[in-house]
Amino acid sequence: MSALSTVHGIVARDLLRASRQTSRLLGGLVRPFMWLLLVGTGYSAIARLEGGGSYQAYVLPGIIVMAALFGGMLTAIATVYDREFGMLRLMLASPAGIPVVLAGRAAAATVVAVIQGGIVLACAPFVMPVSWPSAGAAAGALLLASAMSAMLGLLVAARLRSVENFAGVINVVLFPLLFASGALYPTAGMPPLLRALARVNPVTYSVDLVRHALGQAAEFPAATDTVVQLGVALAAFGLTALLFDPEQRLVGKPRPRA
Amino acid sequence: MSASPAPAIEAEGLGRDYGSTRALGALGLVVPPGALVGLLGPNGAGKTTAMLLLATLLAPTRGSARIFGLDTRQRRTAVRRRLGLVFQETSVDGLLTVEENLRFAARLAGLGGQAARAAVARAMSDAGLGERRSQPARQLSGGWRRMVDVARATMHRPELLILDEPTVGLDPEHRERIWAILDAERRRHGTTILFSTHYLTEAEPADRVVLLAQGDVVADGPPADLRASVGGEVVEVDGPGAASLVSLLRDRGAVVSVRRTDRGLRAGLVPGRARPMELAAGVSGIERVAVRHSTLEDVYFTKTVAEAE
Repeated sequence: MSALSTVHGIVARDLLRASRQTSRLLGGLVRPFMWLLLVGTGYSAIARLEGGGSYQAYVLPGIIVMAALFGGMLTAIATVYDREFGMLRLMLASPAGIPVVLAGRAAAATVVAVIQGGIVLACAPFVMPVSWPSAGAAAGALLLASAMSAMLGLLVAARLRSVENFAGVINVVLFPLLFASGALYPTAGMPPLLRALARVNPVTYSVDLVRHALGQAAEFPAATDTVVQLGVALAAFGLTALLFDPEQRLVGKPRPRA
Repeated sequence: MSASPAPAIEAEGLGRDYGSTRALGALGLVVPPGALVGLLGPNGAGKTTAMLLLATLLAPTRGSARIFGLDTRQRRTAVRRRLGLVFQETSVDGLLTVEENLRFAARLAGLGGQAARAAVARAMSDAGLGERRSQPARQLSGGWRRMVDVARATMHRPELLILDEPTVGLDPEHRERIWAILDAERRRHGTTILFSTHYLTEAEPADRVVLLAQGDVVADGPPADLRASVGGEVVEVDGPGAASLVSLLRDRGAVVSVRRTDRGLRAGLVPGRARPMELAAGVSGIERVAVRHSTLEDVYFTKTVAEAE
């Protein structure tokens, strides 16, 4: 009861916060649509894809995952803000304990990621024909990608000391995960080293599973995509629980929150 | 609320180091249920560390602690259920309204549904936050934010409240409001309260005061006993002749303690043993002399600052 109540409280708070950070919310939506509409339209004019489909249709699964990846990871990494401004202390003092607090943060980030990716998915029929069963399967794939993104975000936050590192994380973690995933171009055409990187990049499997769901040509069996993502999510959560330092910033003075 | 026979707080040799820095030496403390205990001391004395250790938020380097008989390391969850905490810095989310902040806290405390709604409504009413319930917390003054902290800490009716400088930086009106809420919690529910403060007058009504300096307990007891320990009366002597007057008082066996201030000397006296005002008339270089009752401030300075020669 206490654990559920704690998770509920953390998710509700994060959704309220997300709904009031309109610039962040808009930024999270503008980024994928900019790729889909501007870059997608431009590339459609020059790219020749096997099977003759449009580049926009090809890139759609990657853009759905991009929205979820940024939404999930950035929301989870916002734990650093809570640590910096004293709210994490409050959560860590709850009877539920650290794993439940982390699960609450992961659940909140997953919900935000599903919403952001879901908005892109809802626009899929404007780009390519999508049946209801495909949409349902894509929603399932999105949920898995969102959960994994949230867990990876928590793992980054576990040892991130200050909010000043936040922008660096986007450049050093998020963009490489996205660009080396086959979200924006087929991994088959990559040089061997990049292709090997794509194979160990969990986001590759997120994109691949959404391709399966939307009936596009995929690189791996759907079961492989699912197992890899579940494994990475669980491993990231376990590592976060191990690496998370609950005493960090308890004694130092947090900044007053605006 | 509970008639638990175990002490509310029991600490034995409780200490904590941060690397090679000793923050708290070995705190020994037994607090009966329902008591009001003040933790005093200069910045860096170990007050916050002691409170975080008792609140299960820090692991001790040495010693042990029990809250209502529950070991803080082995029964962490059970201990936390009995605690209400106010941290030194406010823990209020500026993007949420007052009511949303309290609802969030209720969920963290394990309250759900109707119980959470009732606790939030009661806490807002007790803290006078009703009119501000829909106001974003970032628009609140520091005083009202602190009221939200106190409402949050008391809303689930904890048996032990641990408050780290709950009134720091507040105007007298908000300080008064906070102490009114805390007094009501004690009176109505028998809540045990451990608090730290730099406003020493706030510690006067405490059942017991523990004075820390550099991680060690340097004084411990009821305020009246502590005041008596530095002399029931204090003579304040300013001017170049201050030391001569104190020397005369010392010769009469009246001096219990002496400390130097920027303006002169402050000597704790055994009441009735000597007449400082009369003696001062015969000493040259006395610019000002006054006799008053001793206060916790005298105890604080006498115990935490080296005694004057």
